[in-house]
Amino acid sequence: MSDSSQQPKRGDFAKHAGEVILREHEFDGIQEFDQKLPNWWLYTFYGAIIFFGIYWFTYYQAHGLVADHDRIISAMTAINQKKNQELETTLATLDDKMLINTWSTDPSIVANGEAIYTTNCVACHAADLSGVMMVGEQKIPLPGRPLTDGKWEYGHKPMELFKLVNEGSPAAAPGYNGAKMQAWAQTLTPKQVAEVVAFIISKNPQEFPPVP
Amino acid sequence: MIASIIWGIVGMLVGVIIATQLSWWEMNGKFLETISFGLFKGEGLQYITFGRLRPLHTNAVIFAFVGNMMFAGVYYSTQRLCKARMGSDFLSRLHFWGWQLIIVAAAITLPAGLTRGKEYAELIWPINVCVALIWVVFAINFFLTLHRRNEPSLYVALWFYIATIITIAMLYIVNHLSIPTSLIHSYPIFGGLQDGLVQWWYGHNAVAFFLTTPILGIMYYFLPKAANRPVYSYRLSIIHFWSLVFIYIWAGPHHLLNTDLPRWLQTLGMLFSLMLWAPSWGGMLNGLLTLRGGWAQLRTDPVIKFFAAGITFYGMATFEGPLLSIRAVNAISHYTDWTIGHVHAGALGWNGFMAAALFYWLAPRLWKTKLWSTSLANMHFWIGIVGILLYVAAMWTAGIMQALMLNQTNDAGTTLKYEFVETLKAIHVEYFLRSIGGTLYLIGFILCGVNIWMTARSGVATNDTVEVAALPREKKDFMKWSETLLNDPISYIFMGVVLVCLWFFLPPHANVGALVAAILLSIKAVLAFRKNSKPWMVWHERLIENYIPFTFLVVISVAIGGALQIIPSLIVNRDKNIEGRLQELYTPLELAGRDLYISEGCYNCHSQMIRTLVPDVMRYGRPGITDDYSHLGESIYDHPYQWGSKRTGPDLAREGGAIAVGAKNMRIGKRDNVWHFNHFLNPRQLNVDSNMPNYPWLFDKKTDFKSLPKKIAVQTQIGVPWPALTKDEIEQNAREQALEISENLVKGGVYLEGAKDKDGSPLQGAELRNYLAEREVIAMIAYIQKLGAYKEVKKAGEDKPTPLDPDTYRKAAMPVTETPPAPATTP
Repeated sequence: MSDSSQQPKRGDFAKHAGEVILREHEFDGIQEFDQKLPNWWLYTFYGAIIFFGIYWFTYYQAHGLVADHDRIISAMTAINQKKNQELETTLATLDDKMLINTWSTDPSIVANGEAIYTTNCVACHAADLSGVMMVGEQKIPLPGRPLTDGKWEYGHKPMELFKLVNEGSPAAAPGYNGAKMQAWAQTLTPKQVAEVVAFIISKNPQEFPPVP
Repeated sequence: MIASIIWGIVGMLVGVIIATQLSWWEMNGKFLETISFGLFKGEGLQYITFGRLRPLHTNAVIFAFVGNMMFAGVYYSTQRLCKARMGSDFLSRLHFWGWQLIIVAAAITLPAGLTRGKEYAELIWPINVCVALIWVVFAINFFLTLHRRNEPSLYVALWFYIATIITIAMLYIVNHLSIPTSLIHSYPIFGGLQDGLVQWWYGHNAVAFFLTTPILGIMYYFLPKAANRPVYSYRLSIIHFWSLVFIYIWAGPHHLLNTDLPRWLQTLGMLFSLMLWAPSWGGMLNGLLTLRGGWAQLRTDPVIKFFAAGITFYGMATFEGPLLSIRAVNAISHYTDWTIGHVHAGALGWNGFMAAALFYWLAPRLWKTKLWSTSLANMHFWIGIVGILLYVAAMWTAGIMQALMLNQTNDAGTTLKYEFVETLKAIHVEYFLRSIGGTLYLIGFILCGVNIWMTARSGVATNDTVEVAALPREKKDFMKWSETLLNDPISYIFMGVVLVCLWFFLPPHANVGALVAAILLSIKAVLAFRKNSKPWMVWHERLIENYIPFTFLVVISVAIGGALQIIPSLIVNRDKNIEGRLQELYTPLELAGRDLYISEGCYNCHSQMIRTLVPDVMRYGRPGITDDYSHLGESIYDHPYQWGSKRTGPDLAREGGAIAVGAKNMRIGKRDNVWHFNHFLNPRQLNVDSNMPNYPWLFDKKTDFKSLPKKIAVQTQIGVPWPALTKDEIEQNAREQALEISENLVKGGVYLEGAKDKDGSPLQGAELRNYLAEREVIAMIAYIQKLGAYKEVKKAGEDKPTPLDPDTYRKAAMPVTETPPAPATTP
């Protein structure tokens, strides 16, 4: 590049002759071609730039796309409505008698309930429903109440249990040593809540005698 | 200046650099294993938990491994491209030893839990200062060499080095602005979303300007040398260099997609990432096509093999990058292992293989000998390739599978099918495969180390001196500022950038005007270029013969993107402007807990950000609240922000709750205190499949109450509205809350094996309470129970357009939508 103004001239000449241009200058033995840019590469680049313009214009000037906040609120509203319907349907067909007589005696329902219990409940109520964990010889109370001691703080009717699991500990209640259960409706469907209640009933047969 | 000038190799210097790199790499490999196995070690050393080692892994790979490799390449090639000895041998040595010292300091402080809690910027502030100083040493040394060069024109490799040095200095300094509270602790001056924005402006561009541009520069020098072929296209170099340095900076917000980050920032992040695809591939093309006519060497020369594969991985990673930046794809990939796979394709494939190519090429030349074993190098290549592919494929599978499982609902679509831990259990196989892949790769690199070592032994380190003709002063660096700035290309581009920015920020109607003007200007520019492109080309030819004007233009190009994203956000998104939810301030004890959370590196596995995505809100939001994603105001006082970047565990944004009935400060959230107590002791007691480490030392170490007043004073300085409290009040407040929580735990019947009195019998009642109140675990529980606490704020004039905020323009122009009815509750 002793005389840089010659460079384009040389380039023009090579272009004219249809030759690939090798630049005059070399750096520590490295030479450079001056090939034309591949078209597909150029179009990718142009395409991305044009897409930029279109996207921004669509969102900010044409108001074409939905804002995140609006989208999430309408989606969650729809889900909540559906959830309420589900719950209504379940409640319409479910009562104490059915939970005790039919649900808690059906092995497949109880098995489902046990699986749900194992995934979600053992952390606080223990696998044997005792609410106690053993560390070596030491008995340590867990955050949840024992479910086999015959005490039912918030009512012992199956539908009361259903409501408790579904909605969590009542807002005004002080909880068990301050610990309060979360509303499982967030995680479980009404059917699953009923299944887990059926499982608890099946573990306390003397507490829930068959309803005539 | 007509005297001969040294044109040499800094033989021993570079040799030692390589040696260190290799030893550091071996270190890293160990951490790769730890990522998967260490998680299960559980009880044991606090110094090797994932939360503490992961920062060490990333810092070691980026700054120790790639850093040293980059310096070797830069020092070797710059001297040859400038036909001049480095500016100062003293500075070279200072740079080298300073950098190694920093690495050692990092290796000591990070496992000790001393961290700033920002990814890739974890090192504590005294080390930050050293890094900045050493970087300045490097810069002075480099620019001195440019100044004394005996080669009028700057080769493309040097352009990339210039961009690296300038941009890293800018990014590093801004992202590390903090106010110290002690010698080992500081708070960053940015908080909440702004900290997130600055963090990823830095984080993303650390990838760009530390892991990419210097390696591209190295490619431009060493690849044509090794292949003995001319570079494919000079004009492609120009186009892809300038577009890369300009566009890269804007893409940072793509790390925060689908959060509550203002949509205009997300949009810029996504669209600039898409535009980045072509400039990145420009580098790949120039690399791969340079090999045209030289492909035969691929069979025989391991250097070419590594170069070709490395560049191919670069192409793959830079295609994947824009793909992951699309908001819909990001909804899947973000917070999962897909991202981990992506970065390892880049780090192992591109950086690792480029490094290997550099070592294999350099070693025989530095020691004037032949490579000890070509077949060992080939073996390294194949083991490495298999390792990368195993690793990346495992991570892709794991990431996509986990995301799909997390998003899967029950048949009715009203609840989610899987608990978080079930998705974790499902990807155990992939985690195992990834460890195998990482180990294979490590073995390959050890082979490389052996090979280089034996090569060095077979030769003698040389410090070549070559005589070159000195270049008369007037042949270089002659450009005046007017010539640099007042010309067609600069005017068009500058006006174009200004108009496009006006399009973003001007109020409605005026912005469309700016858009039209921008389009007209581009058409005019294209026409002008087509008509007579010669002055443009001559100008650029002259520009690269003048290093200061060239550097100045690089500074401008890289400064624009960050400035236009961060400054408006600093002005607009402040607590006084926040609508809806505003974070509740921490109590002193909760602040102490938060510093522990950061120090333990919890953010490496737990996010605190419910994205504006249905599955996220369903999983982590509260029942019945339709807009229960994380609002910006909820973390506005968080210095540093803790949104996280990966969920190896579940999100914690709503883990906290309200003040317990009858309590003064104690809160009970989603789970109660006993649950957290037991969980920190042994997560598997509560969840068999959990892979969280045990944290027994939290039950042993005492909370540092004494440092709180100073910390709170610093927080007040950086804008957190703490109430006025005296030193004593702060400590008293913290201790009271600790006692309240401990009392609750004792009532709940917790048992701690280590808590014994002098006779060895377990502590009971008040004694146990007082024992616990001192311990770190209580502060940690206090913090966890506070997460997500906010108060509702209403501001008059909602929906009014705010200057510099395109989203409010849009909101104001849109028809008002009815607020949806409140959801019914269960009967």
